[in-house]
Amino acid sequence: MHLPTSLKQRLAIRVGFAVTAVVASAFLLSAGYAGEGSKSVKPPEKTTESQGLSGADLYAMHCNRCHSERYPKEFQAAQWQTIMIHMRVRANLPASQAKEILKYLQQESGS
Amino acid sequence: MGIVQPRRAAAEVSDEDFKKLADAVAQLDQKVETLQQTHEKDQETIRQLQRQIGKTKAIASDAQQKADDATQKLQQPVNPMVDLSNAATHNVVLAGDAEIQFGRTTGQHSSFTLADFAPIFLYRANDNILFEVGFDIRLQNGAASLQNNQTGNLGSQTSVDLSFAQLDYILNDYVTVVAGDMLLPLGTYQERGAGWLNKIPDDPLPRSILPSSGVGVLLRGAFPVGKAGDSLTYSIYGVNGPSSVDGTGNSTYTDNNGNVMPNLDLGGNIGITSSGNNANLHNDPSGGGRLGYFHAFKPHYDFEIGISGQRGEWDNAGNRDWSAAVVDAAVHVSPYFELKGEYINTWVETDDIGTFKPNGWWIQGSYKLAGLGLEMPYISNVELVSRYDMLNDGLGTKTTRTTAGVVYYFTNTLQFEGDYEWLRSRGPAAVPDSAFILQLSYGF
Repeated sequence: MHLPTSLKQRLAIRVGFAVTAVVASAFLLSAGYAGEGSKSVKPPEKTTESQGLSGADLYAMHCNRCHSERYPKEFQAAQWQTIMIHMRVRANLPASQAKEILKYLQQESGS
Repeated sequence: MGIVQPRRAAAEVSDEDFKKLADAVAQLDQKVETLQQTHEKDQETIRQLQRQIGKTKAIASDAQQKADDATQKLQQPVNPMVDLSNAATHNVVLAGDAEIQFGRTTGQHSSFTLADFAPIFLYRANDNILFEVGFDIRLQNGAASLQNNQTGNLGSQTSVDLSFAQLDYILNDYVTVVAGDMLLPLGTYQERGAGWLNKIPDDPLPRSILPSSGVGVLLRGAFPVGKAGDSLTYSIYGVNGPSSVDGTGNSTYTDNNGNVMPNLDLGGNIGITSSGNNANLHNDPSGGGRLGYFHAFKPHYDFEIGISGQRGEWDNAGNRDWSAAVVDAAVHVSPYFELKGEYINTWVETDDIGTFKPNGWWIQGSYKLAGLGLEMPYISNVELVSRYDMLNDGLGTKTTRTTAGVVYYFTNTLQFEGDYEWLRSRGPAAVPDSAFILQLSYGF
């Protein structure tokens, strides 16, 4: 079906708003549910205020900001050390937090 | 009373003999005493000798230790600054992504439009030094020259682009030195959103008015703030910067086919001319940087805001500047919802039309249906995504685009993306109409 350009533009804008509305609605739905945790997210270790956040907390906090979760067993301990330098530089992570994340990944890597 | 004298035995020992015997006994006593003194002297001599032997052994041991130390020093590298405790931990990791894309733009044929392999090689020399290089290898149609300067398609060509090649040296907890061909921290998209990381197959429109990389040196680091995961980040760099295609400060140049093309080149200038001469295309490097703040309420609930910019000359004479300013922001609410975007403004000084200002912005929202908590894997693996982007090239052409799409996660690194883009473009450099794009991406 051939539609006039102006009609197509209006249609495009409406669809765009519709999609945005769907996304926003889904977000609002999740606000009550999303609460605590997801099956795809590893539950963080217990932490104390004096110790700050654990490596698992920091891993959950930083890594998912840019890409899908990478599981600790996907790489060996020495490989994680290399990858974490790359990620520390690329994402500009604080050194202390990057070290905690590395410790967590290496421990969970099983190697 | 009479004294009884002992009777001498049989009168064989005379007084004289008795005296001799007494003298002999006395001499023996003297000899024994002399021998005893000699023995004591000998023992003292032995003790002295033993002490000397001990000293000799200590000297010999010390000499051996010195010889060992000297040998060890000879085996060390010449550079005394190298910390050997960090050596011999080399490790190489292959990361990156690959994509295959199918698409159709309104008014054009549908086709497989892209086959892309983008490996990243990470070489860790020790705990503080990493060399990383990223390539972009693509297959595309080859070109054939036809009559009247027309171009046809013949065979295929493989293009290999060096996306970045940089050395990272962690100086301390707060400063990392990066040198080489670097992705630039103008906003965050180029460093964190390209390839399989992005949930939409193509880049936001206004990213085209920024350079993706630059050759130079960068210092960056982050300071943790509090204990909740907050941090203040900085990056500051100097790179060769943009350059002029024909060397002048004019806004356009004309190619061999009579086409009028933009004269500003954002993607080159490594300081060596196309003829191979070792000369920078202009005299001074460009300077830039980014300052950002990340605040976390708790894991998966955070926001980040940053401001970045770059400025430097772009024509050969060094009379005209190119400048850019970028504001970026990202919000995460739960593991499922993300909202992010950038506002970009640039200024291009020219000889012929004064200063023009290409600018634009984009915003992208996404939601993972896993957040609905449905026990339906095929639904939970879906993420909805939408983006609005706008570009004004500063020369009379304005383009807006609305994109809606889905991402389906087969695994955490294998994903299918499908998008439809409604595009509206007006002006002398208007771009093609709406399109749909399907893409299979794999990150490794």
